[in-house]
Amino acid sequence: MKILALFVAALAPCLASGPDVDKGRSMGDPSAPMLFEIYSDFSCPACKHLHDFVLPTIIQDYVRTGKAFLVFREFPLDIPAHKYSRPAAALAVAAARIGKYQTVSDALFRDQGAWGASGKVWDIVAAVLNPEERKRVQAFAVESSVLAEVQHDVDRGKQAMVSQTPTLMVTYKLRQQPWTQFGDLSLFRGYIDALLKK
Amino acid sequence: MPFSRNSALKIAVIVLRVVMGGIFIYAGYVKLAEPWQLFAAGIADYEVVPMWAAKFLAHTLPWFEVLIGLLLIAGRWFRTSTVSTSLLLLVFFSLMVRAFAGGKEINCGCFGPNELISWKTLVRDGSMLAASLFLAAIAFRNRRTPA
Repeated sequence: MKILALFVAALAPCLASGPDVDKGRSMGDPSAPMLFEIYSDFSCPACKHLHDFVLPTIIQDYVRTGKAFLVFREFPLDIPAHKYSRPAAALAVAAARIGKYQTVSDALFRDQGAWGASGKVWDIVAAVLNPEERKRVQAFAVESSVLAEVQHDVDRGKQAMVSQTPTLMVTYKLRQQPWTQFGDLSLFRGYIDALLKK
Repeated sequence: MPFSRNSALKIAVIVLRVVMGGIFIYAGYVKLAEPWQLFAAGIADYEVVPMWAAKFLAHTLPWFEVLIGLLLIAGRWFRTSTVSTSLLLLVFFSLMVRAFAGGKEINCGCFGPNELISWKTLVRDGSMLAASLFLAAIAFRNRRTPA
């Protein structure tokens, strides 16, 4: 009995902290049995492919059905070709503060080539917001808490062995497994369905 | 009683056979314990074989690993098992070196998920390859030696 009490006490902080979620960057039922965390970089073409073609199916099959809770994580890569990724991530996180993460995220992926070349990230973001929203997002984007949130996602990803983007971190029954293979969605479906049956 | 060089070699071979066999059985087991799609995705990450081949290998390779592990431990079909082990490890090691040299940060896929290719995994698999080649050499040397 004493051992059980000690075990529960040791486990309590882990259970209480949960997946560390920003409500503006999540989707679905937080009490779903599975947690999906998508680590992506707005400059990464494979992330755009995932966002445009794969994610809608994953959301429909697993998030809307209550099987998984989806969290979007920023993972801007520190490489010269992606030098605007971090400002883009900061704007997306700032937009999440006013409930516009999906709108801004969609715009950033849609016009990835344009702002990736010109660096005019704000122009793309501003185009999908009204004047009031622009003001608020601009203010949030320079806040240290927003920049810290981006860095927190990067640190969290590195800790969880994220080595490339996009990575979908699957957490089920306290076990984490990164998934990076999105070429054949049937493989991912098979894996998730097999886990859920366990 | 003097401990001859031949006896030492015999003991070394038995120990290596059991260790290598155990490693192969374990490698097969941890893959079989997970949904096969996870190993298939790991194979596909190497970008060497098409997806249908990755799926086929994910279904068959873990069983093959268990089989040659058992053969190594049992000491049956020694030449076949040591050559199979050496060829398999040669392929694994070459692919890992290729991926590492190419800067790919992917899972090794050696003993289940969540182990990125690193110097550590290269040294480990390289050592296993050396041990396996040694066993194969012994197997063929014994064949040439008259009884």
